[in-house]
Amino acid sequence: MMKRDIVYQVVLLAIIAGVAALIISATQTNLARLNVDSSIDFLWKRAGFEIGQKLIPYSADSTIAHAFIVALLNTLLLACTAIVCASFLGSIIGLARLSDNWLVARLAAVYIEIFRNIPSLLQIFFWYFVALRALPRTDESIEFFNCVFLNNRGLFLPAINPEQGWSWLAAALIFAWAAVYFLKKRERRQSPESGKTWTPGSWSLLIPAVIVSAGILLADVSVQTPQETRFGYSGGIVLMPEFLSLVVGLSMYNATYIGEIVRSGFTSIPRGQTEAADSLGLPRHLTIRLVLFPQALRVIIPPLTTVYLNLFKSTSLAAAIAYPEVVSVFVGTVNNLVGQPVFIMAMTMVVYVFISLCIALFLNWHNRKIALTVAS
Amino acid sequence: MTMPVETNSPSSFPRRRGRTLFQGCLSWIRENLFSSPLNVALTLACGYLVAITFIPLVNWLIIDAYWAGTTPQDCPDKTAACWPFIRARFDQFMYGLYPVEERWRVNLGIGLAILFTLPLFLPRFPHKLRLLPLLIVIYPLIGIGLFSGGQFGLAYVDTGKWGGFFLTIVTAVFVLSTSLPFAVLLALGRRSSIPLLRVCCATWIELWRSVPALVVLFVAIIMFPLFMPEGLETDKLLRALIALTLLMSCYMAEALRGALQSIPKGQYEAAEALGLGYWQRTFSVILPQAITVALPQITSNFIGLFKETTVLLIIGLFDLLGMVQNAASDPAWLSQGASATGYLFAALFFWMFCFSLSRYSAYLEKKSSLYKNV
Repeated sequence: MMKRDIVYQVVLLAIIAGVAALIISATQTNLARLNVDSSIDFLWKRAGFEIGQKLIPYSADSTIAHAFIVALLNTLLLACTAIVCASFLGSIIGLARLSDNWLVARLAAVYIEIFRNIPSLLQIFFWYFVALRALPRTDESIEFFNCVFLNNRGLFLPAINPEQGWSWLAAALIFAWAAVYFLKKRERRQSPESGKTWTPGSWSLLIPAVIVSAGILLADVSVQTPQETRFGYSGGIVLMPEFLSLVVGLSMYNATYIGEIVRSGFTSIPRGQTEAADSLGLPRHLTIRLVLFPQALRVIIPPLTTVYLNLFKSTSLAAAIAYPEVVSVFVGTVNNLVGQPVFIMAMTMVVYVFISLCIALFLNWHNRKIALTVAS
Repeated sequence: MTMPVETNSPSSFPRRRGRTLFQGCLSWIRENLFSSPLNVALTLACGYLVAITFIPLVNWLIIDAYWAGTTPQDCPDKTAACWPFIRARFDQFMYGLYPVEERWRVNLGIGLAILFTLPLFLPRFPHKLRLLPLLIVIYPLIGIGLFSGGQFGLAYVDTGKWGGFFLTIVTAVFVLSTSLPFAVLLALGRRSSIPLLRVCCATWIELWRSVPALVVLFVAIIMFPLFMPEGLETDKLLRALIALTLLMSCYMAEALRGALQSIPKGQYEAAEALGLGYWQRTFSVILPQAITVALPQITSNFIGLFKETTVLLIIGLFDLLGMVQNAASDPAWLSQGASATGYLFAALFFWMFCFSLSRYSAYLEKKSSLYKNV
């Protein structure tokens, strides 16, 4: 390092420290002037407001910290649901664009060009204020199989209700996952000798299936369907209209980007790969599963990370239609209630930075795992 | 004289010898739509999908729509689109609450902006780089003077009255021009040889890129007054513009960084060999090339910014979507198909702009890849 560089760094450090000191002192005088006592105690005060959707028990008597957790879980639920739906829809759109059927490819292209050039907030508004408002009222709801109901109050789904608690079910799922993991590992070891590949049809799949059904029996799971009452439906899972329109809007918007990524992933594979697989006599579905898909995935994952991060960030648009997630509960309701902007904004930013970091790290780790390893 | 038959014409209709156009069409249909049982099923399913979405939409939007008049009485029910609503509110959608007698200033300002930016899009215009400072420094001053007034005998118009599509355009263009210089500095900082500067720039960029635009706007609206010494009150729109500039400069810095990385090492070395200093090297050799490479990415960032301006309505600044939403909640129009028509109108407006910009970006990308191949 040159001497000049050290001087530059010292100067830079001094500038940063100076600006920080200025901002902190200005903030402190301003807070004192506005009579805001800066302490984090407000988190343990009684919240005093209701939240429309909660994944864990919560009431107006709970603390503000509790409300924060509820809002955070709502954000995560929305992000996960939208990411799953967008990936599913996006893969279909991307593959449809590659179809040799002219109409299918054209329709997918039209879909992408229409929906990616309209702001996502506008799409959410359209679903919330126009499409879902046009749904029938509770007494005329649309029924599917007599257990799923859709009306302008939301989507009512049957719920699984384990009488003996969730722990049996969770344990069964964990054991089943472990069984699949070990079976797959064993198959990897044996297949070079036996020449057989582990396919979803093998008898060994019975083991996880048995474990899951044992878990279901032990937990005494019953299915609770929504029942029509005088005031609407009760029981089961209720997805509020805000949630529905956000999921539909965000996934339809982001599916356009995922579609383009999936398409470019598959078109990036050299034609020789398909031809080589054909000449080996691999059937079409195995060519896709074993040859094309793993190679496409390598191209798909890095840009997909960006789309997932964008989708996660745009869950904050939920504040516009008052779905109770972090921004609307914390920056909106709680900030109006206690007036602690510094802590509240800091907490909100930390949440977003932390979760964005987690998503990026996970997908980078996954990308490294599947990356082409060249023997050295 | 007869025209020679084109045998190798690259048309999508494979015209084979001895076939009529009709037969050609038939074989095209058979090959592209009904080549296998799966394709037959897919074609029929898609045809059905088109029939149940597009036909009712066209009916609702155009054929059955109420077109005449400007009052709520002109569209009696929700069964069809209500264009009188758009006609009645069109001026608000465009100018927000800007005073009617002062709207010529908006038109003049937008006209000037188009006049300034148009040469940038002309491939043969020679002085593009010289025009850039004019656009970044001089135009914003003219624009602010013209739009907010208060001097030169122009009446003062509070920024709270700015709105509609005018606000969308002002925000997008202002943020684009202010964030470019910062983006250049951040990108250079991130590739600097000074470790502390590099770390600081990288942290700053990654921090703001991982936070939603809405949160950054709230930080600006709620926190900015706290950071400032007493007596320095800033206007809400200005705070929002600063927030978006901060965010946008981080995104553009990443686009520029990618472009800087793609510049061959020989360019740096050649400039150094000529005896140019760091700044001269950067601004007269590296950056002009990097900006050209980054242009498609910058354009798509700009499209993103254009769509992102709708978030302004959450903090109470009414852009095009905000005005539409405002108008749709007017009780006089509630029972009509007004809100749906309003949203579709706004969607069409945004779509036109974003689609043409994305075509332009694709054109740039194609052009730059052509250069590479030569």
